Amino acid sequence: MKLKTSLFSRRQFLNGLLAGGLGSLAAALLYPLLKSVLPPYREPDEVRLPLADYVSLAPGEAKGFAWDIKPGFLKKKADGRLAAFVGVCTHLDCNVAYLPKQRKFFCACHEGWYDEEGRNIGGPPPAPLRRLTVVLEGETIIIKKEAPA
Amino acid sequence: MNTSRMGTAFRAWLDERLGWGTVLTFLRGKKVPQTRHTLWTYTGSAILMFFIIQVVTGIILAFYYRPTLKEANSSVARIMTEVPLGWAVRSVHFWSATFMISFVFIHLVSIWILKSYRRPREMTWMSGVLLLVCTMGFGFTGYLLPWDDLSLAATKVGTDIPRAIPVIGNFFTKLLRGGEDVSGDTLTRFFGIHICILPLALLAVLAVHVFLIQKLGMSLPLEAEVKKKQVRELPFWPNFIFREMILWLVLLGVLLSLAVFLPPGLGQAADLRAPAPEGIKPEWYFLFLFQTLKIFPAHVLFLSGETLAVLFILAGGLIFFFFPFLDTKPASRKGKILTGVAWLFIFYALALTIWSLLD
Repeated sequence: MKLKTSLFSRRQFLNGLLAGGLGSLAAALLYPLLKSVLPPYREPDEVRLPLADYVSLAPGEAKGFAWDIKPGFLKKKADGRLAAFVGVCTHLDCNVAYLPKQRKFFCACHEGWYDEEGRNIGGPPPAPLRRLTVVLEGETIIIKKEAPA
Repeated sequence: MNTSRMGTAFRAWLDERLGWGTVLTFLRGKKVPQTRHTLWTYTGSAILMFFIIQVVTGIILAFYYRPTLKEANSSVARIMTEVPLGWAVRSVHFWSATFMISFVFIHLVSIWILKSYRRPREMTWMSGVLLLVCTMGFGFTGYLLPWDDLSLAATKVGTDIPRAIPVIGNFFTKLLRGGEDVSGDTLTRFFGIHICILPLALLAVLAVHVFLIQKLGMSLPLEAEVKKKQVRELPFWPNFIFREMILWLVLLGVLLSLAVFLPPGLGQAADLRAPAPEGIKPEWYFLFLFQTLKIFPAHVLFLSGETLAVLFILAGGLIFFFFPFLDTKPASRKGKILTGVAWLFIFYALALTIWSLLD
């Protein structure tokens, strides 16, 4: 079917073509710039620690380890088993401290409290501390990101 | 040809090419209204003075500062102990920042209460709010650079806050931090923002701000608008400039005295895995926001308290930015309710700041 009148003028068409072309060029140039703004980051799949360093822990005590650039806590539970936490407050990302006498984790930034199982029990934290999986393999403690499927 | 004739000839030569005669004629004829509110107009040039001091001292600090995980703290220690008068330069930078932010707040509140943002000065106000954002950005990014335990904890919190904004928050936090977590990348990035992005942004907005003030002239106080009475005027040059210089000299004296007798300290180098130090607080100008975050409960209905607090603060910021379009009364109307709101806001900010300080 042939239209009797044109939907847009020749000038409008050319302007649209030019604007669209320049717009795509800008987007094509902007994309790699935006892409390069964030560096890649991968959390470690596991961290290996010598068991000897942690064998002297009494029940209720905790000792730190490095979960990449974040603080980790390895804590001995009452039954003698080990539990691992990422020591970063779930409120606003401050590093928490473990208070062995009270058996609680404490965040000094906004006074957030977690019990010895990492459950948020006081102050602003909206969620429990992140837990990591602990596996014993001979003389090595392996701390893993996730529980094996 | 004697020197004065050479000078005249050179000026004429320049004027033929630059055409700055119009600017000089304008400045020579410029007048500033003399009323009982004129004192507030001095705050603008005081801010400018502090900004210039920041640029000069900042350049010197950048000669020695190293924005890396290993060297940031020790390079600041070197500035404080080894660089000749480096401690004084850093101290002036620190105190001038404090003064700049104080005067930005005074400037803003005076304009709010005097309703100087009304037609046709809406864009002057909006550019001013952008300058406020730049100034607070300078404070926030600069606070991290010494890389001690306090500045690390403050930055972890500060950069985590945008996460609570729905949809775009996560990306914004990653953009600020240069990754998921605060790390050496964050430090380098903050340095870049502090010495490159923010100065460029501030200068661009400042150009618009100052141009608009020249184009539109000083606003008249409300009662002068009402009575249409003749207001006394003072020539900008030299009368007003000389009066401003008195204030600059006084402020410079106070600034240097504080800088010499109360230089800022430097904490231990930050450890990314150390627990946050007890009783951390941001710089004083963020305290009311910090306390606002603190008083929100963990959960309100279906939202987390954090999200609600951040949305509350964002909404406040947007209302602030678009304020001239919410108060569209003619320049002569007093707007008592809005003055009340301004005082309420000042009272809120002061009360929460004091609360936070005592906490």
